[in-house]
Amino acid sequence: MADPLSCKETTWLVSEARERALSSEERQNLAEHIATCTFCQGASRQFEVLFKEIDNYLGNSRSEKAAQK
Amino acid sequence: MDAQLRKSIAEEAAEYRPMLYRMALIQLKNADAAEDATQETLLAAVEKAVTFEARSSLRTWLFAILRFKILDIMRDQSKSRKFNSPLPTDDRGIDDYETGAFDVLFDTNGCWLDAKDPWTNPQTVAEQEAFFKVLEACMTRLPARTSRAFLMREWLELEPSEICAKLGISHGNLRILLYRARMQLRLCLDLNWERT
Ligand SMILES: [Zn+2]
Repeated sequence: MADPLSCKETTWLVSEARERALSSEERQNLAEHIATCTFCQGASRQFEVLFKEIDNYLGNSRSEKAAQK
Repeated sequence: MDAQLRKSIAEEAAEYRPMLYRMALIQLKNADAAEDATQETLLAAVEKAVTFEARSSLRTWLFAILRFKILDIMRDQSKSRKFNSPLPTDDRGIDDYETGAFDVLFDTNGCWLDAKDPWTNPQTVAEQEAFFKVLEACMTRLPARTSRAFLMREWLELEPSEICAKLGISHGNLRILLYRARMQLRLCLDLNWERT
């Protein structure tokens, strides 16, 4: 078992997930931390909104994919 | 009909000139080149006015035109090799590559110091425009190198390896620049976006 993540490490993985697919261990650690940390629940929700609106604003291919769904 | 459409596109597009110029300047690092790219984008928009589909937003359409212009210019530059060199040293403070600037948000164990309001996506057009206004202002305030790397990735959609080559930085440095951009944008929006 890896050490539990800190909130700070959680933000790093949330950013990394935009660049690459996280490993299953990283995904699990991330999910476990967020499940138990209300601060990170709020923060990851903020990042979700931010990323979606960045895509919409820039009109990049991610926003096109989202629009097709 | 056609002339009228061109005229209205020209007028509306002119409102986006300042942001188009800023986006071009971040990438091209040269005021004349950025002005040219902006001008050409606005002209192309008027020229192609009939192909503009009202269901997409005028801003994203203009960004798409400018994006192709910048990618073209970058391609020419890397052929002539002039621009491939890393930026002058004065633009790359060591701070650029540290994540430490955000340590103040966490305690010594790396825990957030305060609760985070769970945002919801803007629902109406007016709410979205309000969000975009703050996002623009926040992007403009990013350090030059950070915003350049960030927009190369998120807007120009270059591969990380291409960005590293163009900026003359390592892959690790790029990941830190992108992390910093995202952390800074979240914080800036949290402070300045008036949620309804
Ligand atoms: Zn946490």
